[in-house]
Amino acid sequence: MTGIRVALAGNPNVGKTTLFNALTGSRQHVGNWPGVTVEKKTGRINRSGHAIEVIDLPGTYSLTACSADEVVARDYILEERPDVVVQVVDATNLERNLYLTTQIAELGVPVVIALNMADAAEAGGCAIDRERLSALLAIPVVRTVGIRGEGLDDLLDAAVREAETPPHHEHTVGYRNDVEAMIASLVGVLEADKDLAERYPLRWLAARLLEGDENALAKVRESPVSPRVQALLSTIDPDECEAAMADRRYDVIAAVLPQVRTAGARGMNVSEMVDRVVTDRYLGIPIFLALMWGTFELTFAVAAPFVALIEAGLARLSAAVAGSIGPAWLASLVGDGIIGGVGSVLVFVPNIFILFLILSFLEDTGYLARAAFIMDRLMYAIGLPGKAFIPMLIGFGCNVPGIMAARTIEGERDRLITILVNPFISCSARLPVYILFAGAFFGAAAGVVVFLLYVLGIAAAIGSAKLFRHTILPGESSPFIMEMPPYRLPTAGTSLLHTWSRGVMYVRKAGTIILAGALVLWCLASFPFGVEYGSSASLAGALGHLLEPLVAPLGFDWKIAVALLFGFVAKEVVVGSLGVLYGAGEEGDALSTAFLADPGLSAATALALMVFVLLYTPCLATIATIRKETGSWKWAGFSVAYGLVLAWLLALIVGRIAPSFIGGA
Amino acid sequence: MGAVCPLALLAAGTEATIADVRAGKGMRLRLAGLGLCPDARVRVQCADRGSLIVSVGDARYALSRGIAMKILVKEAA
Repeated sequence: MTGIRVALAGNPNVGKTTLFNALTGSRQHVGNWPGVTVEKKTGRINRSGHAIEVIDLPGTYSLTACSADEVVARDYILEERPDVVVQVVDATNLERNLYLTTQIAELGVPVVIALNMADAAEAGGCAIDRERLSALLAIPVVRTVGIRGEGLDDLLDAAVREAETPPHHEHTVGYRNDVEAMIASLVGVLEADKDLAERYPLRWLAARLLEGDENALAKVRESPVSPRVQALLSTIDPDECEAAMADRRYDVIAAVLPQVRTAGARGMNVSEMVDRVVTDRYLGIPIFLALMWGTFELTFAVAAPFVALIEAGLARLSAAVAGSIGPAWLASLVGDGIIGGVGSVLVFVPNIFILFLILSFLEDTGYLARAAFIMDRLMYAIGLPGKAFIPMLIGFGCNVPGIMAARTIEGERDRLITILVNPFISCSARLPVYILFAGAFFGAAAGVVVFLLYVLGIAAAIGSAKLFRHTILPGESSPFIMEMPPYRLPTAGTSLLHTWSRGVMYVRKAGTIILAGALVLWCLASFPFGVEYGSSASLAGALGHLLEPLVAPLGFDWKIAVALLFGFVAKEVVVGSLGVLYGAGEEGDALSTAFLADPGLSAATALALMVFVLLYTPCLATIATIRKETGSWKWAGFSVAYGLVLAWLLALIVGRIAPSFIGGA
Repeated sequence: MGAVCPLALLAAGTEATIADVRAGKGMRLRLAGLGLCPDARVRVQCADRGSLIVSVGDARYALSRGIAMKILVKEAA
């Protein structure tokens, strides 16, 4: 069996990951916005005696990489030398996609074109002559429809064939005569460096040197032929060369296109019409806010009956446990520890699923890119490009992918700021805390309270970004360029798949990290032997009293202090911990009833607590991601400290001023 | 053939041909990858906020005003 490595490359948002999933049976995240994939993913398949390794690369518009995810794609093709590159091409946008083709072909690797979204192009009345395209480019062209899995066999066959055929021709763009002459002399000089000649295709390297590509210049700097290269380069104007070469690439494409494509009638399409409305100067922001508000209202309203159902089930379960388990300590472990801790988190599964369903829907339709555009002016005012809004929106689901999505941002400082403010975007793990407290203390107004918390999170992110921009990370924001993908109607399958895979993660977390947290806390609440469970004489009580002075000004008692400490692991644990400490599982009392009965808890305190949970220390997974993405513990530590201080201050303010609005305290 | 002016100054619905891109090297290469290079035909789709949406071929991009000021265009006759 021979191994073949197939790299999927192409422009952003052309359906590489969808094709990857269809080929390998994986379930990688896909969405309708450029930059969903920021890291390369690998999958394996066996096919007619070949072990095929498929590598899904982040999208790139050209191989002159400028953002972190584009560098990943280029370096992979260049340094790892896959056996064949499958360029996934959006059939509805041939011209721009072929520009990348001309660059990939120059790298000297075998290429196969997957003409993807062929159905959409055909529906638009656009016919593409695949055979002619293939003949003109000297590259095999296969028709695929990623979401329906059409053309996969043909694609794999073509890829295997290309990988096994020794390269017999260079299918590259021929540049202007003087440029070609220059490339030839550069190749002549470069050939003397055997090491370089072995690692890189020299024609490609020469072309990049002519363009003045920094990365290429760095590659030859150490070489013994460097002085001669420099001497040659000093005779030309790299800017002029680069313009001439880009021109030539588009000339070639312009010559090919009319021969292969019969364009359909182009009128005002649906995407443009929708955009007229949602990006309108006056309507844009109200529509965005209305969508967000609707999201949280739905998250509450639709989930409510399911939540009630699960609560009733858990109540029965704990009643059965209390009645049937012999030793009192075991009954307490199962009832208070496991059902109280994990159960109080599981109750919110319906809310989480619905939130994810709506977020997936917004992501799959293509609205996300518009939201970034609408927010660009606001983002510009705080010193970030509009693109930085997308990681924030992703953060509503979970901050970890949100922070990773920041890789699509070009400027290093812009990226750092985007990463540091992401934890303030209220992720789904915080939702159970809000639902619990808002539901208990604010009744019918709970939806509004939760919405306001999300708005506060965005405000904290924006305010902090502005602060960082003016203090520790000064500079201009890099300019905003972003593709607006056409709107697509999400298929029920993909939306449900997203929702399912993210929802399952939540449940899994409840079964692992939250279970562990609940058990540790149960032990702390039960020991030393003989103390009343969860009383202030227990270890948990001692720990809580130790921390209490720190949070007392905010109106929090020792139980909340312990819950917040454990919430450091994951924010749902705050709910789980309170479930354990209030022993809510025991008599089947809902946790909210227990809160209302606690004289130490008022609506104002609940509000302050929600604000604190929103802003304080990100969870462990987020901190680890910040560490990874910024490459330093310094920033991760900064994020922890800054979050704590901000949370403490804002919770204090909210706790003090809230009573005058809602009465009571 | 109309006069040359920055893309940012065009009104929504206007079509034009790019004459020159007066930006740094990195930005120019990037824009070329998107199809925003001399001789490309662009159409301004939305220009009533700070940034604008332009279409080039079959693609549409949101551009900040700063970049749009650096792209010089000739309005279609």
